[in-house]
Amino acid sequence: MARKGASFLGETWQLIGAVGRAMGMTFRNFFRRPVTLQYPTVKRVYPDRFRGILALTYDHDTGEENCIGCRLCEFICPPQVIKVEMLKAEKRNWAKTFTLELYSCEFCELCVQVCPTDAIIMLKTFDLATADRREMLLDKDRLHALGLEHPASWATGNRLRDMQAPPKAVKTEAKVEAGGKAEAKEPAE
Amino acid sequence: MSPLVYHALVGFVVLNAVIGMVTYVTLLERKFAARMQSRIGPYYVGWPHGWLQPIADALKLMMKEDIVPRAADRWVYNLAPLAFLVPCILVFATIPFAPGLGVADLNIGVLFFLAVSALEIVGLFMGGWGSNNKYALLSAMRAVNQIISYDLPFIFAALVPVVLAGSLQLSVIVEAQRAMYGAFVFYPVLGQLAFVAFLVATLAAENRVPFDILEAESELVAGFRVEYSGMKFALIQLGEYAHMIATSFLGALLFLGGWLGPGPAWMGPVWFLLKAVVVFLVVTWVRWSFVRIRVDQILAISWKLLLPATLVLLMATALVVALRSTGGA
Amino acid sequence: MAETTAQQTVEIGYGGTERLVMNMGPQHPSAHGVFRAILTLEGETVVAVDAVIGYLHRCHEKLAENLTYVQYPSIASKTDYVSAMTAELAYVAAVEKVGKIDVPKRAQQLRVLVAELQRIASHCLWLGTWCMDMGGALGGGATIFLYAIRERELVLDLFESLTGARLLYGFHQVGGVRYDVPAGWAERCRQTIDLIGRRVDEYEAMLEDNPFFLVRTQGVGVISRELAQDVGVCGPLIRGSGIPYDVRRTEPYSSYQDFDFKVPVETAGDCFARYRVRMVEFRESIKIVRQALDGLAEGPISSRPGVKSVGQVRIPKGEGYTRIEGARGEVGCYLVADGGAKPYRLKWRGASFSNLAVLPYIIPGHKIADVVAIMGSVDPVFGEVDR
Repeated sequence: MARKGASFLGETWQLIGAVGRAMGMTFRNFFRRPVTLQYPTVKRVYPDRFRGILALTYDHDTGEENCIGCRLCEFICPPQVIKVEMLKAEKRNWAKTFTLELYSCEFCELCVQVCPTDAIIMLKTFDLATADRREMLLDKDRLHALGLEHPASWATGNRLRDMQAPPKAVKTEAKVEAGGKAEAKEPAE
Repeated sequence: MSPLVYHALVGFVVLNAVIGMVTYVTLLERKFAARMQSRIGPYYVGWPHGWLQPIADALKLMMKEDIVPRAADRWVYNLAPLAFLVPCILVFATIPFAPGLGVADLNIGVLFFLAVSALEIVGLFMGGWGSNNKYALLSAMRAVNQIISYDLPFIFAALVPVVLAGSLQLSVIVEAQRAMYGAFVFYPVLGQLAFVAFLVATLAAENRVPFDILEAESELVAGFRVEYSGMKFALIQLGEYAHMIATSFLGALLFLGGWLGPGPAWMGPVWFLLKAVVVFLVVTWVRWSFVRIRVDQILAISWKLLLPATLVLLMATALVVALRSTGGA
Repeated sequence: MAETTAQQTVEIGYGGTERLVMNMGPQHPSAHGVFRAILTLEGETVVAVDAVIGYLHRCHEKLAENLTYVQYPSIASKTDYVSAMTAELAYVAAVEKVGKIDVPKRAQQLRVLVAELQRIASHCLWLGTWCMDMGGALGGGATIFLYAIRERELVLDLFESLTGARLLYGFHQVGGVRYDVPAGWAERCRQTIDLIGRRVDEYEAMLEDNPFFLVRTQGVGVISRELAQDVGVCGPLIRGSGIPYDVRRTEPYSSYQDFDFKVPVETAGDCFARYRVRMVEFRESIKIVRQALDGLAEGPISSRPGVKSVGQVRIPKGEGYTRIEGARGEVGCYLVADGGAKPYRLKWRGASFSNLAVLPYIIPGHKIADVVAIMGSVDPVFGEVDR
């Protein structure tokens, strides 16, 4: 049936061998542990850079909102799901409203990359399934609340930009915190 | 009580037992297949390990809407599942679970089994034709081709133990295996070859991969079953799996020694069930290991390889038995 | 619709005029996506195929005119979504060619690394779905499918640690890449590809000598050398027909010239030859990944780092075409730039689009069951076909 010029017995022997090999493979697999992960009882470990749902952050030291309403994320978003209104003030600007349509979000992380103040980040969770799509239209309060609830992913604007920058421009604290480089990068000088 | 009532009662009990077995055999297959595929299979329904999954499936199918296509041939379409199911269940009448424990241990048991089980093809074709669906029709045509081609090797392979035992009665065949270390499969050369041929023919008669061209999910979606939903679909599934375990029972009786085995007499049916499950699992193991082959290749295997081989096997068996009874050992 | 010149009817001397027109519709368990094939059957034999595409058209080329060079790479991955890294690479390579932008060495090697890992993952998916189409969703095919997906998940885990996403990455940007290799990733990558190499051996053991598999694939869907060149197929299809054309060799891009790998070529032109080509490509990709990991240069990962604004990248007037070797064949991107932040015109050359063109020539004369075997060995992804 397969090899040219084989005799009937040769072919039969080959058939038996192939059948045996294939069935042996499935049999061996019978004794391997299943790779199934029983979500949601068991959750797997998400890597540091996991791109989950988005959130807004507060400043680590002062507790103020990080977002200055610069709208860079709004302009860069490919599906245009972010809408920001800036509130001008004396010392710094704020975001008056910040809406993010998570149901259309691509999770491309471009908004995180451009943010100058590390205000918008992604979290290590994706589980926001609802029965009503309107709950996925995240407003500013919801985004801040999400940021406090779930662990954040590694990527912030400054870290991503520093990772892409040439080695001599790397900030020292970013190098320590990043953990994102395989080989230690010595500064050029 | 009168024999009629007695037999009706026994038949009723066996029917229920068979249906129960059929539903749980689906679970066994799913778990077995799952482990071979590095996954777990049904788990949450009837936690743990899905013990209530078959019940849930049955309930779901009973509650589904029964759709009859407008252009379908109503009588043919509606009667097809029954015409398919009845022969598949009827064969259980001849299967003895232990000496004397069976609905009717006919003295033409094997003949009855083989003849009636071949009637399912009528139901199959009715389903394919009555659905008014090109996929179903193609599947039905392939089914007729395939099952008819493989019934002959199936019969010949099943006849080898009959010739060795000298009787068509299933309990006599099992008793005759006592002399052969408890199973005809131990008969030198002839037993093993006949068992292998029987398994291959079973795969084809059951429309199991690698011979499942008629329900090839990736080509014909569901073959002749494609238009059925709800309880009719359940009946077709029931018939398929019933036929599946019926041939497993037949294989266990003919080749593996039925209820013979060490231990007290009441262990007989247990051994029998175990052996039937072994045959079923081997067939399932083959099913989950191979890709399917094309219908013309299936027919080529049957007519060019399996039929001559089983014919030769049967004649060789007859020759051996004749030589034995005249001269020899 | 029936007036296409590509249709060929093979008269097989059937005698009868009983022809059945069957629709292997856009919704089909083995259509590999949304693909409609109108088959004309005589009994079980297909005598004509009329292929209808366009069910997945999402206006990529128009979208590209409205998105800047910074925004589009993550969209580009959605053309060939199974092999997203190579799709993004086609776009950014075109932009870099037109804008004459250098890419640092490390970025080039990272691009090669992820492209080859992506090729491994894509071929895992190909093998699994092809065997599933041939073997049934409830049968031996599903077994191989689950094994292949199990291996693909390992590669996707690697990508997840690298970029954060599993399927559509947004890894490339104009001038380089966005993410660098995290700590410990190289070691895990080596372990993963070692494991995948062993598992590929297992698949071959299950399939290679298997007469059931061989009768389904040998002699089926033969693309002759002349036909391959006339119709313009690419990738494993053309290499399975005896023509050693691999873009990585003929026009090396992104430092492929520094890597040592073999380009597999088979002459039979049938499904089995294409299967052999892809199985060898598995091994060669593993080799390339090892070389890339060993020789990863130091340096920046982008020559236009730190995207801070949407219009940051501006390409002067010009046009150019780049081609790369995707998992399915030659993916090309023709870009016309007009000096702004958005392209004036973008044209995708999808590998699967050209590969599908060969179907009306090779399917007639075969049985229905061969249609799925042939389609699986062509391995189309309809994001590329319909864009």
